[in-house]
Amino acid sequence: MNNDLQKKISDAIANPQNMGELANADAVGTVGNSDCGEMLRMWVKFKDENGKKVIDRATFQSFGCETAIAVASLATELIRGKTAEEALSLKTEELAGELGPLPPMKIHCAQLVEGALRSALEPQEPAPKPAAPATSAPTLLDNFSKPKEGLKITFLDEKK
Amino acid sequence: MSDVLAQFPGAQRALFRRYHIGGCSSCGFSPDETLAHVCERNGGLDVNEVLAHIQSSHEQDAKILISPKELADALQQDKSLRLVDVRSREEFEAVHIEGSTLLSQDVMRQIMGNGSNTKPVVVVDHQGKNGLDAAAYFMGHGLQNVRCLRGGIDAWAQEVDPAMRRYKIGS
Repeated sequence: MNNDLQKKISDAIANPQNMGELANADAVGTVGNSDCGEMLRMWVKFKDENGKKVIDRATFQSFGCETAIAVASLATELIRGKTAEEALSLKTEELAGELGPLPPMKIHCAQLVEGALRSALEPQEPAPKPAAPATSAPTLLDNFSKPKEGLKITFLDEKK
Repeated sequence: MSDVLAQFPGAQRALFRRYHIGGCSSCGFSPDETLAHVCERNGGLDVNEVLAHIQSSHEQDAKILISPKELADALQQDKSLRLVDVRSREEFEAVHIEGSTLLSQDVMRQIMGNGSNTKPVVVVDHQGKNGLDAAAYFMGHGLQNVRCLRGGIDAWAQEVDPAMRRYKIGS
């Protein structure tokens, strides 16, 4: 990640906007998997403005990395005052706002925010990202964190 | 993918580090999928570019490793260094490096959500077989200062702390 992007992310998370649960929210959306260490939940509250239903406030909670927090912070500001349709029409890169183009390994952070937004605003729709296959190869997480029960430990100096 | 993994044991780590593929059930892949299919359903990645990245992953793995002696020196100099032990609780309770923390979901969330991705983290396993997976997992989540103890706690016992008892799993 370049230094400029890292600084923008650091600035965004130094003063994150709209973090935390929103009481009396009209819509809630969740994406991600807490097992993966990444989960993002978004709350949205609407208001009527000139006969239109627009987003009054959106907040989020994240167990994701700092890029996801930075994007969510910017996105929840960006969608304020927009209708659900307008908010849903924003592309992933637009949600990342002033962070600018994200490197490949960070794009999923913005997609996480987009997914949470979609989950909140069109909860009946399936998740935008194609689902992983039902039969997965062991994952990195499996490789080092699966419960290892009934292990018998033998000290080498006890042998003989 | 099973053929890719057989030929390049570090492929899964490489995929997750750069493309966030294969880390958990929501971004995993099937053993009988082709690399091309995995690339296609992950945003249309360029297969040749991904393959080149997998092939160079051995060099990246070598850079992540830290020798037991280097780690002992680093622990003296940097008190913020966090040692994360990815072994089982039984193994951890049998022997562990002073100051290390047994990995749990809470510890994982603390590490990923503490607002800094530059604090040093060193992963400790038994004999250096699973530690690189954990290190790659953390790096794939954006942590930039992750190392893995070469040879695990077994090498630490041989090279740094001869008083630490070595062990094996099973009778």
